[in-house]
Amino acid sequence: MIDDHDATHVALIEDDVVLTYGELRDRVASARARLAAAGVGAGDTVVLGAGNEIGFVVASFAALGLGARPAPINPYAPPAEVRRKIEPLGGAVMVIGEVAPHLLADDEGYGLPVITTNDLSGAGDAPAIIEVGAEEPAFLLSTSGVSGKPKVAVLTHGGMAWVQQSVIGDGPEQLTADDIALGVLPVAHVLGLNLALLATLRAGGAVVLQRRFDSATSLELIRRHRITMVVGAPPMWHRWAVSEESSDAMASVRFARSGAAALRPATVDRLERVYGVRIKQGYGLTETSAVVTTGRGFDAPVTSVGRALPGVEMVVVDDDGAPVDIGDVGEVVVRTPGCFAGYLGDPESTEMVLTEDGWLWTGDLGVLDDDGFLHLVDRVKDIVIVSGFNVYPAEVEDVLMHFPGVRAAVVVGRAHGVTGETVVAHVSGDVDEAELDAWARSQLASYKCPTSYLRVDDVPETSTGKQLRRELKS
Amino acid sequence: MKMQAQFDFEAAPGLPGSDAISRVHYAVIRSLTRRLWRFTIDGVENVPTAGPALICPNHLSFCDSVFVPAALPRRCWAIGKAEYMDSWKTRHLFPALGMIPVDRSGGKRSAAALDAAAEVLDDGRLFMIYPEGTRSRSGNLHKGRTGAARLAIRCDAPIIPVGLIGTPEIQPPDQFTMSPFKDVTVSFGEPIRAGDFGSPADPRIHRTMIDAVMFEIARLSGQTYVDTYAGKKDDAREEVASRPMPPDQQVSVPPTKPVGRTGGPTRPKGRPAVELSEAPELAPGD
Repeated sequence: MIDDHDATHVALIEDDVVLTYGELRDRVASARARLAAAGVGAGDTVVLGAGNEIGFVVASFAALGLGARPAPINPYAPPAEVRRKIEPLGGAVMVIGEVAPHLLADDEGYGLPVITTNDLSGAGDAPAIIEVGAEEPAFLLSTSGVSGKPKVAVLTHGGMAWVQQSVIGDGPEQLTADDIALGVLPVAHVLGLNLALLATLRAGGAVVLQRRFDSATSLELIRRHRITMVVGAPPMWHRWAVSEESSDAMASVRFARSGAAALRPATVDRLERVYGVRIKQGYGLTETSAVVTTGRGFDAPVTSVGRALPGVEMVVVDDDGAPVDIGDVGEVVVRTPGCFAGYLGDPESTEMVLTEDGWLWTGDLGVLDDDGFLHLVDRVKDIVIVSGFNVYPAEVEDVLMHFPGVRAAVVVGRAHGVTGETVVAHVSGDVDEAELDAWARSQLASYKCPTSYLRVDDVPETSTGKQLRRELKS
Repeated sequence: MKMQAQFDFEAAPGLPGSDAISRVHYAVIRSLTRRLWRFTIDGVENVPTAGPALICPNHLSFCDSVFVPAALPRRCWAIGKAEYMDSWKTRHLFPALGMIPVDRSGGKRSAAALDAAAEVLDDGRLFMIYPEGTRSRSGNLHKGRTGAARLAIRCDAPIIPVGLIGTPEIQPPDQFTMSPFKDVTVSFGEPIRAGDFGSPADPRIHRTMIDAVMFEIARLSGQTYVDTYAGKKDDAREEVASRPMPPDQQVSVPPTKPVGRTGGPTRPKGRPAVELSEAPELAPGD
């Protein structure tokens, strides 16, 4: 992926460090020698406890060159959680980055050899790069996945490369070697890894790495490096939308993309007003190597996540697999060349979501409109059923979030003796419950209205801003 | 009878049933429904006296298509099978009740029916459509088809939910005649408007709106709601095959189901498997 690009062209920027493709290749070769000396070979797993830093990129390419499988984990997690996460990976070695000194400081260890990213230089000649087939595993990514329980998705070389090439695209909106991407989405997440980082490097462009998101710093990086592609999660876009920065901060941006969760139309409009950027939303999962739909190239409705990528088959179906009417809600089912190979060591979970002929049942509910644009509704497993009627928590949450003073709202179902389930809202913010309830009743059918409100300080979220409803279900 | 509104025959030269014979037929039907049955009409003030509206009742019996038009203060129209025009028994009676014959053969039947309905609404008239698509054999209220919501948005017309009680006792399935001297109630709910559910450009409001309509029908009719389509599986396969797909979303082969889902372990808690159903059926068609 990085071998054919101009050696003098900038590949990575992190703070004051600028690395050209030539320098990156040298570092990767040296790291390959170091990992090989540590016993890493084809088919082994290299656990990456590193963040959005040059060491992560070097270690990833070094492992891939040995035919090994990089397995990024959340480097900010406490050691005990890291031990639990890496246990099913069966790693040969663990590489810890500069962002995770707390992992190095832990005395208990991780049951496998540990190398730091500052110790990735090997003596002697680097082993030759091992060529692997498109179906072979590339990255192993942790995911709560389609069915909710923590699993490890096995992404293939061919699947990831296909998505990267789709992101690069062609025509006037093609991603090129002249593009510079902001690498702020966590690289342990498929969107930050395969879209922001790897697709840009495949195109021969440069990636400006930012270790932790900070709205003002991000905008400063965008301005200083004249960044052209920003891939963000909704919380990031929201923070940028409400920041006090000047309106020219994103003047250089020609690709503004959002994924991982739904972006509020008001945020899209505000970003266009303030910065002059039009966000293109997409949709995908870890299991699809990041992307199956894109808003790029279309004047997509603001409530949609775009159309299926060319080469992706997508249909919205009922429980039996029959396509629902246009405009009706059903489960999004896709067949994509970017599909994963399955969950590591978990064939039962794989069989729950993936058919032998390649259809992935995503667990996401959506609506296709007359023009083929997908509009997401919610997750299948989050539906609350009240007196037989489906209540989509996202719809109720959206109404609650429009009430002044509500910072966050998460809606879940609770068993009820008469109606089967009832709607419970967890709300953070400074609001009067009676007034909030009156607002909800003015906006929602009565069966959708929460029957109780629980005040919380914060709602649990993933690193990309998805609310974790399952943690609030009683 | 709680309310007896003044009836407006509302001549519509471009639509069926506007001739003198139909006017007589309609008057006779209205009169007979009030003399032969204990006929209660609630909420008729919710029906707009002018302008378009969709009349959306539950559907339990063939005679629903008699009692709802008879309860309305204005004429309404609905789609029916073209074959009714071939029979001497129905050739005059059904147009008088507002039936617009539509050839339902071929794959475009749903689209043709909806286009005909849109013409009626765009003309400022009432149009009746059964949101369940066909009669409920179980007695439960079934999941609504989104066609009524799409029509409401397309034509900027409110939906009037209607709850019928008592019609299966008057004409059970497979009974040709209507048994007299029984109770029947038609209740009209408050108008439901698409604008209350968000932007009309957002296709997600189709389901949201029709679910709100079904909730009101359940309240008015006292039926238990089940989140499955009414109908028979055999009829459904043909309908699914003929259902239009958006451009660029055609699939070469329908998706198969993961083997791990056999038995439905990943279905949401309490959510039964969805039955396929037959084509959207408009009144008075079945």
